[in-house]
Amino acid sequence: MELKQESLAGTLESSDLFIRISPSDEPLEVVINSEVGHQFGDQIRAAVVETLEMLKVTKGIVIVEDKGALDCTIRARVHAAAMRAAGVTEVDWEALS
Amino acid sequence: MARRYFHKAKVVTEDLQFYTVNPISNRVERKDIEQLLARCGLSYEEQIEAFVVCRDGNELVACAGLQKDIIKDVAIDPDYRGGAMSLKLVSEITYLAHSRGLDLLFVYTEPKNAEFFRGCGFYDLVEVPDRVTLLENTPIGIRSYCAKLARQRVAGEKIGCVVANANPFTLGHRYLIEQAAKACDWLHLFMVREDVSLFSYKDRYYLAQENIRGIPNVTLHEGSHYMISRATFPCYFFKDRGIVGKCRTAVDLLLFRNHIAPALGVTHRFVGTEPFCPTTNKYNTDMKVWLQEDVSKAPPIKVVEIERTQRNGLAISASEVRRLLRKGEMERIRDMVPPATFDLLESKYAALARPVTDT
Repeated sequence: MELKQESLAGTLESSDLFIRISPSDEPLEVVINSEVGHQFGDQIRAAVVETLEMLKVTKGIVIVEDKGALDCTIRARVHAAAMRAAGVTEVDWEALS
Repeated sequence: MARRYFHKAKVVTEDLQFYTVNPISNRVERKDIEQLLARCGLSYEEQIEAFVVCRDGNELVACAGLQKDIIKDVAIDPDYRGGAMSLKLVSEITYLAHSRGLDLLFVYTEPKNAEFFRGCGFYDLVEVPDRVTLLENTPIGIRSYCAKLARQRVAGEKIGCVVANANPFTLGHRYLIEQAAKACDWLHLFMVREDVSLFSYKDRYYLAQENIRGIPNVTLHEGSHYMISRATFPCYFFKDRGIVGKCRTAVDLLLFRNHIAPALGVTHRFVGTEPFCPTTNKYNTDMKVWLQEDVSKAPPIKVVEIERTQRNGLAISASEVRRLLRKGEMERIRDMVPPATFDLLESKYAALARPVTDT
């Protein structure tokens, strides 16, 4: 999935996360700031990176402000932000299975 | 709590209503905003283009304004503080900015209130102790910018820097850059990126590129948000009151000293003497304080002022060139600018010569 524009998804509210994706020519850079990072940092990063891998996003800058979101929320937000950044509106469900 | 998957102008969460207000056309909303700001000890900033506000029933309980990429006038009624209001408000203003094509956002705040924004995804850029903190809404903005700059580092004992608007590029700029380059091992030249001057950034950059030919030890850099931009030096671009106006030049200069200069190894900053423009003159004076004195942990940068070149006893200045251009006195301009500038002025700007606001 090729990123074409800046995109946002989510909110800064509790149990959610705010994600910002920007196109870039550099390899994927994922920056995560989480209120529960010391405890769940690796798990949050894994959820973000796996979702991006499934969507074949290999370049770009991803900034996540996490407010204690569950994994399913993280995946949904990352997915939404990546689609918006790529200008894609149809979900490719097979890529997610 | 209501969840939101797509951004809309109007969202209902519990009883609170968030929506966007145009303060110029909506006087009723504006009056309520002014009252809320007054209750919170803030003054209304005329330059704000859009607000996100929150109402609980009829009462306006929170607001945040946007002036281009700067968030201003953020206020929450004391009864609504401490909960999720701040997070919701900042989320909303971020989406509003995004819908206006702005993603990198800045906020000025008193250092004691900076924590509020740190909890909302903002990161410190620079603090002027006891006065103001500038934050940006990314943890990697200035860091990745400086990492890119560091790749253009040139080894040397004396590394100079010139930041120019060059609106337009005159023989005075050429002289300043030549003298600065002669005085150092390498010179880094930055063009002010903000497109609010008579001459577009593209044209100013092009002219710099053409007019520095033959100087062997200079790198021309694109400007950025982090140098003499609306965000770092608002008073240069608009008359600002309140906290942004008060910080004046310190934020821009400390950002240069703490981040940009170390990335490139800059030891000297060169500047032309400024007899005409009071804002630029003040900037030059302040430069000596914020770059040289003991006001930062970063190493001091020596400020070198270079006397302006003169033509017929008159110092050459870009503002004088603009004045002559408006009067259509092209022949007098010829003596003040290099050929590349003259050609562009004649072919593109002479026809546009008409009264314009000066910057």
